[in-house]
Amino acid sequence: MHSKRLGWIFLAPTLTILFFFGVIPFVYVVFVSFHQWNPFAVNPDMVFNGADNFRRIVFDQAFLNSLGVTVLFVVFAVLSQLVLGYLLAQAFMRDFPGKAIFRTIHTLPLIMAPIIVGSVWKLMTTPSIGIIPHYLDEWFGITMNIGTSAVAAFTTIVIMDIWHWTPLVTLTLIAALVSLPPDPFEQAQIDGAGKPQIFWHITLPMIAPAMIATVFIRLMDALRTVDEVWMLTGGGPGSATRFLGVHIFREVFPKTNYGYGSTISVIVLYLTIVACWLLYVTMLAPRTSRRSEED
Amino acid sequence: MNLSLKLGASALALTVATTSASADGHAAWWKEAAAPYEGVTIRGVTESSPPSQYIREVLAPEFEALTGIRVDVETTSWDQMFDKGIKDMEAGTGIYDMVYIEQDIIYSYLARDFLTNLTDFLGENAELQAPTYDEANFTTFADYFKDGDGDLYGVPMEAFLKVYLYRKDLFEDSEIQAAFKEQTGRDLAPATTHAEYSEIARFFTDYGKANDLELWGTTAQAHTGHVASWYEYYESVAPTFGVYNWGIDANNNFAASVANGGAMNGPEAIEAMEWWLSMRDIAPPESPASTWTEVGTTFGAGRAAQGLVYGENAGWIAADETKSLVVGKVGVALPPLADGVKAAAEAGDGYIGYYDGGAFGMPHSSKNKEATALFLQFIGQNEVQPDWAVAAPRVTHTATYDDPKVVAFNEELGGYYDLIKDKGYLFAGAPAYPFHAQVREATAPIFYQILTGDLSPQDGLDQMAAAAEATLTELGYRK
Repeated sequence: MHSKRLGWIFLAPTLTILFFFGVIPFVYVVFVSFHQWNPFAVNPDMVFNGADNFRRIVFDQAFLNSLGVTVLFVVFAVLSQLVLGYLLAQAFMRDFPGKAIFRTIHTLPLIMAPIIVGSVWKLMTTPSIGIIPHYLDEWFGITMNIGTSAVAAFTTIVIMDIWHWTPLVTLTLIAALVSLPPDPFEQAQIDGAGKPQIFWHITLPMIAPAMIATVFIRLMDALRTVDEVWMLTGGGPGSATRFLGVHIFREVFPKTNYGYGSTISVIVLYLTIVACWLLYVTMLAPRTSRRSEED
Repeated sequence: MNLSLKLGASALALTVATTSASADGHAAWWKEAAAPYEGVTIRGVTESSPPSQYIREVLAPEFEALTGIRVDVETTSWDQMFDKGIKDMEAGTGIYDMVYIEQDIIYSYLARDFLTNLTDFLGENAELQAPTYDEANFTTFADYFKDGDGDLYGVPMEAFLKVYLYRKDLFEDSEIQAAFKEQTGRDLAPATTHAEYSEIARFFTDYGKANDLELWGTTAQAHTGHVASWYEYYESVAPTFGVYNWGIDANNNFAASVANGGAMNGPEAIEAMEWWLSMRDIAPPESPASTWTEVGTTFGAGRAAQGLVYGENAGWIAADETKSLVVGKVGVALPPLADGVKAAAEAGDGYIGYYDGGAFGMPHSSKNKEATALFLQFIGQNEVQPDWAVAAPRVTHTATYDDPKVVAFNEELGGYYDLIKDKGYLFAGAPAYPFHAQVREATAPIFYQILTGDLSPQDGLDQMAAAAEATLTELGYRK
């Protein structure tokens, strides 16, 4: 009883902060999402409009386009980070010359603010000035212009995100790999299992929880990407990289469409929760229940 | 001379000026008026631009030394400046005592009653009225910050034209002149029509290619995902074809489409768009990723023979050797115009380009209005203007034009100040729309699709006109 109370006392500051800076703003956003509210309209007050905003969003081509490019971005970026992160983690499990230096350099992007990452990549990719278009042209005769090519802009953003966040995946997976017990691997080798079999039947299942947790984190981050894209392309060319975060930003801040912008935010939050839930029930929950049955 | 040197020299000059002011008793007045507010900190938010940096690094410290009132000026990006200022005024938190008001946003702020009427405020507080401050000293640009009664809501602190810059050294090169004459049959001179401009642009782009030079015939502020491109078209290109106020007719139920009486998708608008896109196609490759900043950089790097450039960049391009490769090689002129546009502008029925700038206003939510009013008057005095105009090219006071330092600097700028003084009346600020950002944001995504070629100019402008009218209806302006 005493320890329970002590636990609540320790939790109280966090819960209080969470309530004021998490719960109240969230409830307020949900409340605003049921209103028409633009402070620069003839009527600047909030006007309750029921589910109109939610109905509108279903037919909003700009929103649907943003959703489409965001999903594509998430799939390409997160999957690539997962694969690359795993390969790098495996590489760092072995000894090689300069490993410490390489590992330090490899984690440097993580400490950079997204807006800085966007600025650096903008400098590197600006047509005719940036180092990347310059060498692509000089070495391969490829003209790269992120101001005109939707594919170039989208691909650059995916690569930028991979560059920025793969180290996080690597570090998480190194932690998972280090903590694996050696016995199952030794046993598998004695039984004559090959590397692919060991990977598929032992390594992957054992690091799956860490992998899925990393995917959760990266999925949520990727869905709300704004800063880097804002700095690099502003959502262009056209709407080729107008991800949901950029779309919401433009709707809420420059356009001051607080009501509809809040609706989009609520929907995006809902979609994020659904995506994470789907991941959980399809990948993690079966494992958990299987383990319970085995126990 | 680079900006930091200019700022240093200006600080020194201002110290001397303040000392002189001390002699004639004005310093005593500032000290006495500010005495009740000594130790107070006033805060302002503004765009990180040379004029604002001058305020932060020169004027604010001088005011602080003179009055004991601390001035904290936050310089940030254009988007952040608006975001922070609007949120503060909307919520009435009073974080900022001064906000930068760009000319195009003033109507939104007035509609929302965000700002203090400075004329009234100083009239009601005679003890705060500085002897060296007079609203009559401002150029007519101050009119943009007045209401229908002529009351001022912001102290102008910067004003520029978006001008036609050209490379004097190239235009005056005898070999180039001969080649141009041979190719076109006419003399090489700054363009006065769009056809002439196109001809010059094509000539220099071809000239750059033929001579393996990093030189193109024109700049283009044509970013495919940033509002800078939208602004270039509506502020600087469409008016030269006779499309004013974005093609929206405020006197006709805010009609945007031709079908309803607007001009946003009219033949002039389409012609303007097609012409501009054709220029974009022969501009430097970075143009589709260029905002106003990159256009300045492109010109300053010597990569364009001519272009439409914001005046705030024209200063460093023409005179700052630490940043520009074309110092002393720049000329200014009026933009190329379609038939009848100049006559319409002279008659007051139109305009030929953008008169940009901004002012410092005092939100109603300010908790230090008296101290702020003193500072706003301090930066609004004639005395501080000449050094400011040299350090960060901008003129907001009539007397500034005649100051010897400014006259000398005008030569370095290729006559830029003369152009503002003599032809400034042909240019105009943004239309008096309280829905500025809302309509811009509603139409800009379609505009970008025109730039990428996903929509033709005709289809795109049709869609933009429809989007503008839908937004205006939703906001309640269009019935």
